[in-house]
Amino acid sequence: MHMKKLLICLCVLLLSVMAQAEEKRTDVPIGDSPSMGPADAPVTIIEFIDFQ
Amino acid sequence: MAAGPTVKQLLQTYPGKIRLVVKNYPYKYRDFARIAAEASLAAQAQGRYWEMHDLMFTRSPKLDRASLIAYAGELGLDVPKFIKAIDGGDHAAEIDRDLQLAQSIDLYNTPTFYINGRQVVGERPFDFFKKIIDEELQLAGR
Repeated sequence: MHMKKLLICLCVLLLSVMAQAEEKRTDVPIGDSPSMGPADAPVTIIEFIDFQ
Repeated sequence: MAAGPTVKQLLQTYPGKIRLVVKNYPYKYRDFARIAAEASLAAQAQGRYWEMHDLMFTRSPKLDRASLIAYAGELGLDVPKFIKAIDGGDHAAEIDRDLQLAQSIDLYNTPTFYINGRQVVGERPFDFFKKIIDEELQLAGR
């Protein structure tokens, strides 16, 4: 019985992780654009700006 | 507009975890958008991109040629070199490349962000970004 609950919990966890992984993602090349922070940072924010 | 304070706050909240990259999308009907982008890249060529970025963000919309030159002086840049770069459109190809990239990914608004490729359009509150970044850090196991 406990085993079954555990299994259900694991499935729910797995599905939620998969749902996040399936976010729509756009591949934006960085090139030699101005940047700050480590190149191997886990999060990259690419910002398109207009100064005016 | 650039995002400024919110992005700064994110960088401070997650030290070492975020790489920030800036691309130019100067809106063509704003008089000084393009020359401001040129000025930022002219400053980058002198190794002073972020100082110029922050100063222009603070002083926007005062971004006419004379003001930009004054800012370059204020930051201690090589001013004649800076003027030559902005007047000569030295970085036009880089700006055009960013514009083409924007067009290819259906981007027509600033600021627009890609957080590990996840698109966020327009100014959003800190917590909106924080939620996405926390999710991404969780995915990355960091």
